[in-house]
Amino acid sequence: MKRLHPDYKRPAIIKNGISIPGTAMIEIMQEVLSRGMSFRFRAGGFSMAPFIRDGDIISVSPLSSIPPGIGDVVAFLHPETKLLCIHRVLYRNNGALMIQGDNLPGNPDGMIPGEAIIGHVTRVERSGRSIKLGLGPERIFLAILSRTGLLEVMRRCAVPFYGYFRRRRALCEKS
Amino acid sequence: MTKSIGTDMVFARSNDVVAREIDGMLIIVPLTAGVGDMEDDLFSMNETGTAIWNMIDGKKTIKEIISGLKEEFIAGQGEITKDVTGIVEELLKRRMIVEAASS
Repeated sequence: MKRLHPDYKRPAIIKNGISIPGTAMIEIMQEVLSRGMSFRFRAGGFSMAPFIRDGDIISVSPLSSIPPGIGDVVAFLHPETKLLCIHRVLYRNNGALMIQGDNLPGNPDGMIPGEAIIGHVTRVERSGRSIKLGLGPERIFLAILSRTGLLEVMRRCAVPFYGYFRRRRALCEKS
Repeated sequence: MTKSIGTDMVFARSNDVVAREIDGMLIIVPLTAGVGDMEDDLFSMNETGTAIWNMIDGKKTIKEIISGLKEEFIAGQGEITKDVTGIVEELLKRRMIVEAASS
């Protein structure tokens, strides 16, 4: 016999403060992409810094007939951990892709089979602005730098200037 | 203009939403302008709302949904009828469901 819920509450649509598990997000992302649409969500983590930062909003688009190329930032399910990763393609080999986070020097994800790739990043938003650096033609150069370890060297060299650029941008925003 | 909901009307979930019930939690992401936006356009429903959503299948009339809900929850017929038509109106307004047919 069916058990009745004694605590009847008025049906309601909830909009704010919804926290969903990562597995649910992957499922929804795959469904959206399979319909040929883009998926927009908030990224977490630092593995793609400084091009994608923790809290940036990214849009993942479905793969086109052309497979992802060198420098593309792709979304994939890691074959071992089954976790969703958003990292850069360093090179291709026999249909598989060598992928690594820009901020994970010497720690590549390994050769990821093409079928594990679920989409590619087409847009990054930060504080309401579209961030293009890292997704344009320079992405190929970034992949080469990442592969050779020079991206990390350049990142370390740039660290002292971060504060300067941040202050400058804050001044520009104020004026 | 809000359409009045008749109890013989039948509604179906819109093709322009992705909905999943995971661990008892209903998640609805509308697909707007070619984008499924989980950052600014993510919805869920409470237990009663989820029960109604699950009965909106393109076959059941509003009357049947009301009966189904009455079998699940302890509440008066009048209250349930008012709530079901109210939530259906809201879902229609948000284009999460579409009218399938009138029986």
